[in-house]
Amino acid sequence: MANCDETIAKLYEYLDRELSPAERREVEGHLALCPPCREHFRFEYNVLSLIGKRCRETAAPPELVARVRKMCERAPSDP
Amino acid sequence: MADRSLEQVNDPCVGAEGLTEQSRSQLEQDAIAHIDALYRTALRMTRSSSDAEDLVQETYLRAFRSLHQFAEGTNLRAWLFRIMTNTYINDYRKRQRRPTNTSLDDIEDFYLYDHLVDSVVQPQSDNPEEEVLERLTTANITDAIDELPEEFRQVVTLADVEGFSYREIADVLQIPVGTVMSRLFRARRRLRKVLYDVAIESGYIREMASDGQL
Ligand SMILES: [Zn+2]
Repeated sequence: MANCDETIAKLYEYLDRELSPAERREVEGHLALCPPCREHFRFEYNVLSLIGKRCRETAAPPELVARVRKMCERAPSDP
Repeated sequence: MADRSLEQVNDPCVGAEGLTEQSRSQLEQDAIAHIDALYRTALRMTRSSSDAEDLVQETYLRAFRSLHQFAEGTNLRAWLFRIMTNTYINDYRKRQRRPTNTSLDDIEDFYLYDHLVDSVVQPQSDNPEEEVLERLTTANITDAIDELPEEFRQVVTLADVEGFSYREIADVLQIPVGTVMSRLFRARRRLRKVLYDVAIESGYIREMASDGQL
């Protein structure tokens, strides 16, 4: 069974879904038994979700989209 | 690198050999579907909306020119981001005037969590830390990212906003996966410190107490 330090060291790889299934199970095994680590993971998950959610509110300006679309209308006839 | 098609991005050869009009047009449409993601990332890299627009436009220009080199089945999104990164490095980076603080790397690993848990001493609700987080606006967060050095802004945006895997980020930035991981870790650590400072400055955290008292 992994201890707290080993589990916290894998926090981001776990949240980024970069761990192998075996490593994942080990982290989840610890989290199931350790409320402080669970709380820490939940908090970082919320921070990451918030950063993603807020930043993805920004879209490309319509004029830029129009310019790029126009560019690709011409592109096929380019030599 | 594993993805060979990505290595030909800078090939100046122009032409549409081997690409039917129909598949070219389809690829163009597929590429344009990523414009919001490219623009957001360009905005964080250049920190200027006019530069970001120019960068995205230049990226598409190069992408459309190199479309015949794009091998079907490869990662179109990563390919576009790679073109944009190369364009940025070659044409835009030297324009960056705004200095970033590259020192100060001795921050605790989980600054925001450690400090929020300590600061919010009198929980008004079940999840006081989450309430502080929810008050952070888009401007708060983008300004905080813009405080980071360039290499940190890149990895944070690619990973945390656009959801690229470590492997994809390594391909986009042409750095080893291990470097992606350590850079991303340090970038997130810095960002959490800045977000904590923002939360204090904005008054989102009022119960400041170094000794645990209100
Ligand atoms: Zn634990």
